Amino acid sequence: MPQGQHLGFRPGPDLELSCDYLVIGSGAGGASAAIVLARAGYSVVVAEAGPWRQPEDYPSSMHGTMRDMFADWGTLVATGDSIIPVVQARVVGGTPVINSAIVVRTPADVLQSWREDHGMGDVFSEEAMGRIHDRVERELQIQTTDWAIAGPSADTMLQGLRRLGKQVHPIDRNVAGCKGAMQCLQGCKNRSKQTANLLWLPELIAQHGGTVLSCAPVHKILWQGDTAVGAQGRMREPTTRRAGAPFRIQARRGVLVAASATGTAPLLQRSGVQLPALGRFFRGHPGAGIVGVYDQPKDMHVGASQATASVHHRLDHGIKLESLSLPLELFAARVSGAGQSLITKLGDYRRCAMWVTAVRAEAEGTVRQTWWGGTAVTYAPTRKDLERLRFGSKLLAQAHFEMGARKVWPGVVGLPTEIGPDQLDAFDSAPLSNRSWTWVLSHLFGGAVMGGDPQRSVVGPDLVVRGKKQLHVVDAALLPTTLGVNPQHTIMAVAALIAERLANSSPSS
Amino acid sequence: MWTYLVVSALKTTFPSTAQLPGLDQLDTTRHVRTILAQSNWTMWAGTVGSALAFHLLPIATVYWPLPALFLPAQVRDRHAQRMATHPWYGVRMIMMMIKTIGGLVWGAAPQVRTPLAMPLYPADPGTHRDDAMQPVRPG
Repeated sequence: MPQGQHLGFRPGPDLELSCDYLVIGSGAGGASAAIVLARAGYSVVVAEAGPWRQPEDYPSSMHGTMRDMFADWGTLVATGDSIIPVVQARVVGGTPVINSAIVVRTPADVLQSWREDHGMGDVFSEEAMGRIHDRVERELQIQTTDWAIAGPSADTMLQGLRRLGKQVHPIDRNVAGCKGAMQCLQGCKNRSKQTANLLWLPELIAQHGGTVLSCAPVHKILWQGDTAVGAQGRMREPTTRRAGAPFRIQARRGVLVAASATGTAPLLQRSGVQLPALGRFFRGHPGAGIVGVYDQPKDMHVGASQATASVHHRLDHGIKLESLSLPLELFAARVSGAGQSLITKLGDYRRCAMWVTAVRAEAEGTVRQTWWGGTAVTYAPTRKDLERLRFGSKLLAQAHFEMGARKVWPGVVGLPTEIGPDQLDAFDSAPLSNRSWTWVLSHLFGGAVMGGDPQRSVVGPDLVVRGKKQLHVVDAALLPTTLGVNPQHTIMAVAALIAERLANSSPSS
Repeated sequence: MWTYLVVSALKTTFPSTAQLPGLDQLDTTRHVRTILAQSNWTMWAGTVGSALAFHLLPIATVYWPLPALFLPAQVRDRHAQRMATHPWYGVRMIMMMIKTIGGLVWGAAPQVRTPLAMPLYPADPGTHRDDAMQPVRPG
């Protein structure tokens, strides 16, 4: 197998490539599918819109993170009756480069729902998914967080929920040798987080002759009749955003789209795919945090960004609870108030601990291409979702007080800015309005979902985009439900299983 | 002019206290110039638009018919606080944008992190990789 290559930004001339399989996007889904196909002997090209950054290139500050790692400075928002920031990366390796490295296997009830409610048969059986999960966990060195580096905020949450009789656990993460530097969200400069830009994509290049294009946003898919035969786009310099060389990639056997839950549907739309379900059934795990203020340091600036989780109420209340340490820069925006009162509160930063409720929301939204070429996400958590958030927030406040917090800052308009231990019931009257809570949307699903019903799915049980040939979706856009747990492990497994089926369907060239 | 408006809004939102320095004691102008120069148009418009709204809205918060620039310091502080807790969602979102930008500058400043006994950030490299995986500096 010849040595592969990485092709970064270039101003010109036109770039022409050919391969067996083109994978659009290098995040959890794209990289996972690409490495399976490459190991099976196929020639693979991965086209990634963002630049390739190594840990030596990762920023430290949140200014640098928004500029260098986030898609469009983190300005993508979901709009409905409120504005909800959507957190996504645009770098080689995708959002896992800036996530908290949480790894959770796909719950059995989710696989059952895909099988029975969404007509997917046994494509994603527990046995098949388990086999992929096993391999990924070995390769990404999944391990339970070493409690010595978890950080005091995570430890306090673990103890607090245990005292309330809740099931709670240290989080399993794809890290090796974590030093607790609290740099998960900026990209781990210690190389502890095991991500595709450090593992699978270098292997693809060095051992399987694959090609990775960075700074290469795909504009549209190329067709011969109804058959996807490649894609084209134009390179873009990541700092100046100036346009560079046009590129055109021919794919003999297929095109796998993994442009994210907010990118895949718009790409299919501007490529001429017209299906009633395209851009619909966009779902997520919106979340909001509760800050406890203690007399002792809780030091959110050290430890793992997330180390404690509870899925005790995943099934009965549709929530998961997690510790989430925010850097001071982001914490400043989260704390209510402005002026003297804000700075006075921020003086307590080291005595604060923030824990979040992530809701397995029932809300459905849409994602579509805008007339100016951007992405529009419409999404509004429902009243039931707000009730779930209110339940989780009260529970977290209770755990804070159980552990000795002097007060909590709910950050909810309509509640007092500070709530003491004897005011816990105030949460029961918290407004059920999206405009009153500070939601953030980080786990995204749908837009090009799979299923058995042609009116309600973009991809059929044969895992091909309906009405097309050789076109597949291998990222979170495909998932027809929320999970109630962190999705990166599921996305990797689903993508790998689809790639395995492709690899087994015909011999490599 | 845009930089001046943004810096003024940020300084009001992140003032100095007895315990911690505010953006009025930091090199906020240089940092804001950098952010505005680097940001995409959405970020630029959001930042500048929010600052402009901040200066125009004292009439709705503290009932002074003057831009925030010309308010006495105490009234300007009250204006910022009332914007952040205003019953109108749009006004609170303007303040959220200002706090986000201000937080990027204030929370990373050594003058703020040192009294909080937090480690200082090294400079962000701002680099990415070319074909040969060599670091490319922005230029």
